[in-house]
Amino acid sequence: MSIATSLPGRAALHPVPLAWRNLTANKRRLLRSSGGIGFAVLLMLMQLGFERAFFDSSLMVIRGLDGDLFVQSAHKYQFATQDPFPAAELDAARQIPGVASARPFYADWFDMFWKNPADGKIFLIRAFAFDPDQPVFSFAQINAERGRLKSPDTVLVDRRGRPFLGMDRTAGQSQLNGVTVKIVGNFALGPDFMSDGTVVMSARTFADVLHGAAGNPPGIEAGVIKLAPGADPARVQAALKKTLPVGLSVMTKDQLIAFERKFQAEVSSAGPIFAIGTVVGFVVGMLISYQITYTDVADQLPQYATLKAIGYPTLFLLRVVLEQAALNGLAGWVPAWLASILLFRVIGELALLPMRMSLGITLLSLGLTLGMCLISAAIAVRRVVAADPAEVF
Amino acid sequence: MVSLAWRILTHRKGRTLLALVGMFMAILLVFIQLGLFYAVPQGGMLLYDNLRFDLLLVSDQYEYQAQPGAFPLGRLDRVRASPEVAAATALYFGVAKWKGGAGGAWPDLFVIGVDPKSRVFLPRSIERQRAALERPDTILVDSASRSIFGPLDTGRVVDLGDRAVTIGGHYRLGTGFMGLGVALASTASFGRLFPGRGPGQVNLGPIELKPGIDPAAAAATLRRLAGPGTQIFTRAALADHEETYWTTRTSVGLIFGSGLLISIVVGIMVVYQIVSTQVNRQMPQFATLKAIGYGDGALAATVATMSLLIVAAGFVPALGAAAWLYRLIQQRTMLPVTMTLGHVAAVLGAALGMAAVSALLALGGLRRADPADVF
Repeated sequence: MSIATSLPGRAALHPVPLAWRNLTANKRRLLRSSGGIGFAVLLMLMQLGFERAFFDSSLMVIRGLDGDLFVQSAHKYQFATQDPFPAAELDAARQIPGVASARPFYADWFDMFWKNPADGKIFLIRAFAFDPDQPVFSFAQINAERGRLKSPDTVLVDRRGRPFLGMDRTAGQSQLNGVTVKIVGNFALGPDFMSDGTVVMSARTFADVLHGAAGNPPGIEAGVIKLAPGADPARVQAALKKTLPVGLSVMTKDQLIAFERKFQAEVSSAGPIFAIGTVVGFVVGMLISYQITYTDVADQLPQYATLKAIGYPTLFLLRVVLEQAALNGLAGWVPAWLASILLFRVIGELALLPMRMSLGITLLSLGLTLGMCLISAAIAVRRVVAADPAEVF
Repeated sequence: MVSLAWRILTHRKGRTLLALVGMFMAILLVFIQLGLFYAVPQGGMLLYDNLRFDLLLVSDQYEYQAQPGAFPLGRLDRVRASPEVAAATALYFGVAKWKGGAGGAWPDLFVIGVDPKSRVFLPRSIERQRAALERPDTILVDSASRSIFGPLDTGRVVDLGDRAVTIGGHYRLGTGFMGLGVALASTASFGRLFPGRGPGQVNLGPIELKPGIDPAAAAATLRRLAGPGTQIFTRAALADHEETYWTTRTSVGLIFGSGLLISIVVGIMVVYQIVSTQVNRQMPQFATLKAIGYGDGALAATVATMSLLIVAAGFVPALGAAAWLYRLIQQRTMLPVTMTLGHVAAVLGAALGMAAVSALLALGGLRRADPADVF
C-alpha cells in the first residue's frame, strides 16, 4: 500500500508503512489537518473554476458557430463588438474553390432593447440573426426551431438569460426596440460578462427591429464559411484573404477563439483577480500544511530520533515526512475536489455561469496541493534532519 | 488569565511566531476577498464619485450608470427653474468607434457630452481645460483609457465614428464599467458625433441644490416638477441602487461572496489549528491547573484570551500588508480596491469571530483534560 514498500531493496529495511500509520494514528488530528488543507484547496478550486467559467462564457457563442473559417472586420478588437460589413461581400467568397458555403451572421450587442413581458421594464440584450434556410449555429435547440423563424417578427429567447429579463417565462410575445415580436421557442445559452440574455431571429426580423421595415438592410458581423470535404483550410484561407477587401480578416475557428481569449486576458481584470485568489489560497494552504508538519515532527521527534539511533538513515526519515505531507495533502484535496463539483453546479445554476470541473482544473489543483504540502514539509523537516538521538532523551 | 495566556504564548517564541504568521495570512486573505467583493460596485460608482451633485434626475428605465435610459431635456429645464436648485446639468452618453487604435483595431470609445461651462465634474484638470473642451470637435481623454487606443498625445487627430476629432488634453477619472476608454466632449461636439441623438435625449441629470437645502425634502418637490417617466435619486439612494445592481443583478455578488465565505472558513481553520495546537501542548499544565482547583471557566477564559491576543497581533501587520496589496491590485487591474473604515471594521469583526469559533472548538479538547489521565 505504501510508496515505501514498492521500492525493492528498501523494503527489507522498512516493511511498515510509517507515513500512513503516522497519518492515521490520531483520527481527530487527521480530520483537523485535512479540513484545513481542504478548505485552502477549495478556495483555489473555486478561483480556478471562476476563471474558466469567465473565459468559457465569453467563448460560448464563437464555439457554437458552425463553421471552419470566419470572415469579420479586420478592425475588430473583440468578437462581441459592432463592426458590420455588407452581406454581398460573401458572394466573392462563395466563388473560391473549396468553399462549400458562406453564410451571413448578424449580431448586435448595443442597440437591442428587450421589454420584459411580465413587468414592462426595458433592458439591453444581445441579438443574433441568420437566414433560417442557412443556419450558422451548431446549437441543436436553435436549429430544431429555426423553421418557425420564417414568419415575420418571430424570435427565440434564451431561457437561461438573467431572470429579470423575463425570458424564462412562457410569455407569447414581447417587444424589441418597440416592435412587437412573437416568441416561438427558446434555447439555453446563458449570459456572459457583457450581456444578460440573448434573442435569436431571422435576418428579416433583425432588419425590421433595427431599422424598421423600410430601412436599409443591416450589415453582417461575420461570414460563417464551411469547407468542401477534403479542402485544405490554410489554402482556402489564403485564397479568401486575397479575394476579399483588405478591411476584412479571415480566421480559422481556433484563431478566432485565440483572438477572443487574448482580448479577454489582456483587457479584462478577470485573469489577474482569479490568479490573486488562487495564489492566496496556495500560500495559506502552504502555511496550514507547514503548521501540520511542524507540529507533527515536533511531537514525533523522540520516535524519529530512536529510528535514527537504531540505524535508519536520515534520508529514510525525510521520505517518511514528505510521504506523510503528500498523504495529508491528498486527504484534503479529495473532499475539496468532491465538494467543488457540487459547488460548481450550485453556483453555476445561481450565477448562470458555465462552471464545470475539467481535467485541467483537476490536475492543476492536485499539482498545486501536492506542491504546497511538499514545499512546506521540506522546510519543516529540517528538524528531523538535525534530530540528535543523544539529545532527545 | 491575561498574564497566563501571555506566558503560554511567549513561552515558545518560534511556535508563537508561526501562529502569528498563520493569523496574519488568514486575516490578509479575508481582506483581499472583501476588497474584491466591493471593488466592482465601487468601480460602478466611479463616475458618480467624481460628480458634484446632491440629487440625480434619470429616466424611470434607469438600470445602472452605464445603462441609464434617457429623458427629454425639458424635464431638466423644469427642475432647474425651481428656487431650491443651484445647478442642473445634462450629461449625454454615446459610444463611437475610435479609428486609430493600436495595430489597426477600432476600439469603442465611451463619450460623455457635457456643457463645458458647467462645474459638474470634480477633477480640477477638467475645469482647467475648459477652453480646450469648448473648441469644436475637440475631446478630453481619460488617461486611464487602455493602451488599445494607441498614443493619446494632445493634438492627435483621430476619426471618431464618422468625424475627425482632436485630442485637446487629458484628465484622470477612471473608466469604471463605461468601457475600455472614456472621453469628454462639449454638448455641441457630442451632437455632431452622434447626429441621430438630438439634445432632447439626456442620460443623466445631476442636480446641485442651494446651500442649506435638505436633499430628501427637495427630491420630493422636484419629483413632482420633473413628472412621469423620470425618477430622482439622493446620493445615498443612488449608492444603494448601484451596489444592489452589481451584487444581485450580475454574477459579481456570487463570485466574490463565495470567495469571501470560503476565506472566512479557511481563516477559522487556521486559527483553530493554532489555538488547538497550543492547547494540546499545554494539556498537562491545564490538567494541573484543574487539579489544583481552577474551574473550566477560568481555563476557557485563558484559551479565549490566547485567541484574542493572536488575532490582535496578526491583525495589525495584515492591515498594513492589505493596504499595500490593495494598491498593487488597483494598479494591475484598474479596479478601485480601496481600504475603507468599513473594510477594517468588517475584517476585524470577522477575525474576532474566527477567534471565537476556534476557541470554542478548542475548548472541547480542554474540557476532556482529566488530571488523572495526563500523568
